[in-house]
Amino acid sequence: MTGTAQDASRAAAPAPPPRKHPGAFGFHDVSARFSILGVWAALIVVYSFTEPTLFPRTGTYQTIFGSQQPLVFMTMALMCTIVVGEFVDLSVPAVFGFSATILPVLVVNHSWGVWPASLAAIAAAVVVGLIQGLLVVRLHVNTIVVTLGMSTLLEGLSLWMSNMSTISGLPSSFGSIANQDVGGLPVDFYYGLALVLIFAYILWATPLGRHMRFVGASREVSRLSGVRVDRIRLGAFTFAGLLSGIGGVIAAAALGGYDATTANSFLLPTFAAVFLSTAILEPGRFNPLGTLLGIYFLATGILGLQLLGLQAWVSQVFYGGILVVAVTISTLLHRRSS
Amino acid sequence: MTASQAGAPFPEPSADTTRQHRLAVAGVSKTFGSARVLRDIGLRIAPGELHGLVGQNGCGKSTLVKILTGIYTPDPGGAISVDGRPLSLPVRPLEARAAGLSIVHQNLGLVDDRTVWENVRLGRYKTAGPLTRRIDGKAERRAVAEVLATLGVTIDVNEHVGELSAEHRAVVAVARAIQDHKPGGGLIIFDESTRAMGKQARLRFFDLVKSVINTGVSVMLISHQLEEIVEVTDRVTVLRDGQVAETGIPTKEIDEAALTRLMLGRHMVTHTRVDSHAQDKPAAGIRGLAVRSVHGFDLDVKKGEIVGLTGIVGSGAAAAAEAIGGARQARGGVLRVEDKDSRDGRPREIRLGKKHASSEEFIEAGVAFVAERRLEQGLAAEMTVSQNLTLPRIRSRGHWLRTGRKWQAEETAAMIAKLDIRPPDPHKPVGSLSGGNQQKVLLGKWLASRPTLLVLHEPTQAVDVGARHDIINAIRETARDGCGVIISSVDAADLAVLCDRVLVFRDGKAVTELSGELIQDEIIDATFGTLGEAVKAADGNREPDEKEVAQ
Repeated sequence: MTGTAQDASRAAAPAPPPRKHPGAFGFHDVSARFSILGVWAALIVVYSFTEPTLFPRTGTYQTIFGSQQPLVFMTMALMCTIVVGEFVDLSVPAVFGFSATILPVLVVNHSWGVWPASLAAIAAAVVVGLIQGLLVVRLHVNTIVVTLGMSTLLEGLSLWMSNMSTISGLPSSFGSIANQDVGGLPVDFYYGLALVLIFAYILWATPLGRHMRFVGASREVSRLSGVRVDRIRLGAFTFAGLLSGIGGVIAAAALGGYDATTANSFLLPTFAAVFLSTAILEPGRFNPLGTLLGIYFLATGILGLQLLGLQAWVSQVFYGGILVVAVTISTLLHRRSS
Repeated sequence: MTASQAGAPFPEPSADTTRQHRLAVAGVSKTFGSARVLRDIGLRIAPGELHGLVGQNGCGKSTLVKILTGIYTPDPGGAISVDGRPLSLPVRPLEARAAGLSIVHQNLGLVDDRTVWENVRLGRYKTAGPLTRRIDGKAERRAVAEVLATLGVTIDVNEHVGELSAEHRAVVAVARAIQDHKPGGGLIIFDESTRAMGKQARLRFFDLVKSVINTGVSVMLISHQLEEIVEVTDRVTVLRDGQVAETGIPTKEIDEAALTRLMLGRHMVTHTRVDSHAQDKPAAGIRGLAVRSVHGFDLDVKKGEIVGLTGIVGSGAAAAAEAIGGARQARGGVLRVEDKDSRDGRPREIRLGKKHASSEEFIEAGVAFVAERRLEQGLAAEMTVSQNLTLPRIRSRGHWLRTGRKWQAEETAAMIAKLDIRPPDPHKPVGSLSGGNQQKVLLGKWLASRPTLLVLHEPTQAVDVGARHDIINAIRETARDGCGVIISSVDAADLAVLCDRVLVFRDGKAVTELSGELIQDEIIDATFGTLGEAVKAADGNREPDEKEVAQ
């Protein structure tokens, strides 16, 4: 008896609509995933024709791929908190600069060894991340307030420590941990690449990454599913501090010192590249590989424009403009395809 | 006269003349994509009438309100008129306001840290002169004082609303609603406005509403509290599954139980009760649970037994289930769950009063909780079916370095087949599924962990008939496999076909236990206590049951 009733209710239920795209990728899917990469390729072609003598040379690519390591570390630090649903950690460049300032100050002004000084710089960045995490997660203070305040505070401390001047004079042997040439590119390019790949793997294939994604999607759903939400959020802030700290040490090593006033200029590029990732590879979702591609895409565009003879202002126009346009297009494509 | 009431079996109170209706809704439907959430809605409210609107969650009440307030555009073909004048569709808020249609939202919709006059005049501020854009505070205050005077209440218009008593807050909300009405005209819709009010404040609130009614204003009252609907309204309209089940019923001729029957309908014909699967071995026990109004609640659930908890809003049945499932912080109590892997046969014990950072401890003990609000508590809409399904086990079954694709694929495929989830695509975002299929994913997410104790909160709320069938079958199957099941629901039809026994809560206590052959009507009667005999009979049954509870 229940059988017939069941059949009747089955028959009444609407049949699932036929799938338009039998394959894994439909047209919109492909265009949403790879449109930025297409624009990147087009940029390279255009620059190669307009700047035939300057652009298509090995040196150009060495510049593009060899100069973005600070940004790679900072974007991955920002990614830590963004993936778990904290969209506005404004402190990343300041923590980076804090660590990059502590190292040369300790070595040059206070005669520490480079390794203990590096550890101290990284530890300081981790502590800063932990404090911010405790304020946001445990005390529920607004993230913008905490990270904006902390970032200003750290910049001030960095300027004070460095006496408002560039500290240089790290031993050149130490610089080789960052500058060592490997296949035409400095070794820290590979550090950044490895970091991005590991991060992408964690998010894609480990229980930790799955938990992070769910915490970012819904804290309440995660909590009721047994995920320790607060621990993951606190960990994200702490880990963001760690990555910024390591990035700062590598940057200071590469430069042989650090100018504490420069950190601030990384804020917009960091956010631009991370948000650009929502238009690359995984539409609508922050992802590490997309961020890395976004960084080099932005660097290519700016370098090309500078070779064309445009001034430094062009980078701001490019970063800002591309961010708005690309994310708008990606959002539209994503909405239409789903 | 009779022609105007076609379809409405009950005469209207002011049926003496063919006077215009204050609000007349006719043939209004609303379709989202392929889902028709409202079908041919028709209802009429007379001048000076207090009209109730009731229905289960998901029946279309809020969609109707959103159409009346202009947030949604109804499907073509319907008509809405106020005092005989048709409104243009979609409803334009300013036009509706001019016609005298106003709404008071949940929790009165007041801004606590602003003054009385600012709240009342919100959205209507007039500027002082042609050049300055400054708000003319003096004129605004005077206007507000006048409105308050018509309500016969004196409140300092400069007081912050957050400082006011519950009673005066209600006055402010009503003042905001009636200020544009012509004297003796207009309609106020109260959309769950009384939800956060205490009993005393509620009584005074209704005194106020009645005094407004006496001036000729009509009121539509939307509430989950059937008690207050029956007590204060003149007539009531019941929505069920997006349709008008019955409209214009005089509340003198109906009680809460009959209203509930209308709200639920008779959708139980596809199900027959099957034999109990209850075994003699215990699955779980609760001792001394204290949460919300509940104190010292004890309950034993046997393996394979399905126990229902029910009661009116605020009775404690829902809070108890949420606390047992780990979703709500309790003040005290112990939950013991049989441990399949234990060598000495001792159960696992969870202190319910302890602060739990997450449900981890409950899940490890074998407790699964299917939450009521599926997209806020149960599933992450942007994640896929498979990712949602496997989330509670992703760490225990995966390796820390990899989640493991095989078991996830197998588990998801098994649940898609078992619950007939459509479309059967494990990689679709959950948010793109229909409500019924989302509910199936949520159920599958917890069934896949093979729980010892399964706690469900309104498991068939706002799902279609086919999904309801599959969900009920899956719950039965789980019980047959030896899982203890607790269902918290107001849906007596579900409880009647599923449960071995039902505990009825009132004021934080399980006052009645029904067992044996359960009948929907008996559960409803016991819930509302409307039939003295039913309560007495149940109390008579109570003695042996208590022994069982105390075992």
